[in-house]
Amino acid sequence: MVLLHIPVVRLDVDRQRFTVWHALSSPTRVLCVLLMLLAIALTPNGHWATWAVYGMGIVAVLGLSRVTWPVLLQRLVVESAFVGVVLLGTLFRPEGAVLWRWGPLQVTTVGVLVLASVSIKALLSLLLLNLLTLTTSVPDLLQALLVLRVPPLLVAILASMYRYLEVLIAEFVAMKRAAIARNLMGQRRWQRLVIGNMIGSLFIRTFDRGERIHQAMLARGYQGLTPVVTQPIVSGRRDVLALTVTLLLALCGQAIYLDF
Amino acid sequence: MHHNSISIQNLSFTYPDGTQALRQITLHIRATERVALVGANGSGKSTLLQHLNGILPQQEGAIVIGQYTMQPENIKAIRNFVGLVFQNPDDQLFMPTVREDVCFGPLNQNIQDEALHDRYHQAMSAVALDPHHYGDRHPNHLSGGEKKRVAIAGVLAMQPQVLVFDEPSAQLDPRSRRQLIDLLRNLPLTQLIATHDLDLALDLCDRTIVLHQGQIVRDAPTVEVLADTAFLEQHCLESPASYRRPYCLLADRPSCPQPHPRHLVPYS
Repeated sequence: MVLLHIPVVRLDVDRQRFTVWHALSSPTRVLCVLLMLLAIALTPNGHWATWAVYGMGIVAVLGLSRVTWPVLLQRLVVESAFVGVVLLGTLFRPEGAVLWRWGPLQVTTVGVLVLASVSIKALLSLLLLNLLTLTTSVPDLLQALLVLRVPPLLVAILASMYRYLEVLIAEFVAMKRAAIARNLMGQRRWQRLVIGNMIGSLFIRTFDRGERIHQAMLARGYQGLTPVVTQPIVSGRRDVLALTVTLLLALCGQAIYLDF
Repeated sequence: MHHNSISIQNLSFTYPDGTQALRQITLHIRATERVALVGANGSGKSTLLQHLNGILPQQEGAIVIGQYTMQPENIKAIRNFVGLVFQNPDDQLFMPTVREDVCFGPLNQNIQDEALHDRYHQAMSAVALDPHHYGDRHPNHLSGGEKKRVAIAGVLAMQPQVLVFDEPSAQLDPRSRRQLIDLLRNLPLTQLIATHDLDLALDLCDRTIVLHQGQIVRDAPTVEVLADTAFLEQHCLESPASYRRPYCLLADRPSCPQPHPRHLVPYS
């Protein structure tokens, strides 16, 4: 079982540092990242200079925030494997000059251009998101989402996913261990059947647990709305400065290819 | 403070599948009284506890908590009045960090900023946990005893007048259990404790209510109830371990070739 071999990953390995980036409040960090993501994603295909500017900006922030590079690269590799599958689909297109053909598949100049553009967009976006998750703890991120007026119910769902993922994995491991303790070996087919049953009972247990959690929430005065601590979105001068710099960088990048 | 924190008259409850969980329950609990609720599995303890907080709808009978009758318009006040500590802390600690979890109840009471901060600190101090050290920790990374304490802190932060516990000592190691008992003893609140741990009942509660198949079969001083071995056995219970220790009962003493002089035999 692949699931059993995933160690509990600590996402925010670089949280406890004292840098300019870490001094920003978490909503500001999320806003900066969102702004850059928007600028990167909205740049039309083929504008390499714009992405080069953004890339330099991102690398500068990565250096500034002193993230652990090996961890960052490791995560990039794993994530690229998932993104790569989606990207591959953009390569094969009907339009443009044909470079290579094999049966119904053909690679064209347009295809290569789109693939390269989308790959760069994906790489830059992944770098940004990893920067955010490496340096900001999940509870802080959730709090930032609340401050940024993301619907509280959605944030509450994310928070309980974060809270109960480990509990569910532990429950599954316990079930599997109990099965092995009673000699779950033998045929593969039988193993698959048992594991299927386990997943089924995990689902039912989760359902029951959801019911009990809801009762516990009701018992502490929950009335259908998650309580929110009201906080200003941007608190300090530093945050305003960071947002301004991000906005300027985004506009600079766009100005490179736009004719005024 | 009210004379009767909890008054229940003729409460009956049937689950949708037809199981009758409670039959004609009538009981009164005075303010600051500590009462144990014991009974076999499925005797209706949890069902009764969930009625005290308005989680299960009242079908028949009347419940008065403090000055509030159990009515939809009073539910909010009743939930602030009665703090319910669930059996499994994993069900109760649902927020991503300890601080957020303890603040959940007060936030529902619209308490913010400085007052919220004070509530958090008071609640954590009441359960003898360091508010700074535990604040940002993930509830899943705490030990069983710590989880239980945080769960109790989450309820205490709402400043209830009645505390209701479902199996407080379940899954605790002996030291955590002892710390829990000391903690409960020092909380000056009305407490209703549903438990299988009869030693805990004996340690903490002067009064014990025995439930059997949804009915109250005995409501008497704890010492009196727990000494009645025949009655306990009849209702799927047994007298606490502290009553059954070898040497405490004459019948359990090791056989000796020479009989002891009478004045050396304890409790003869």
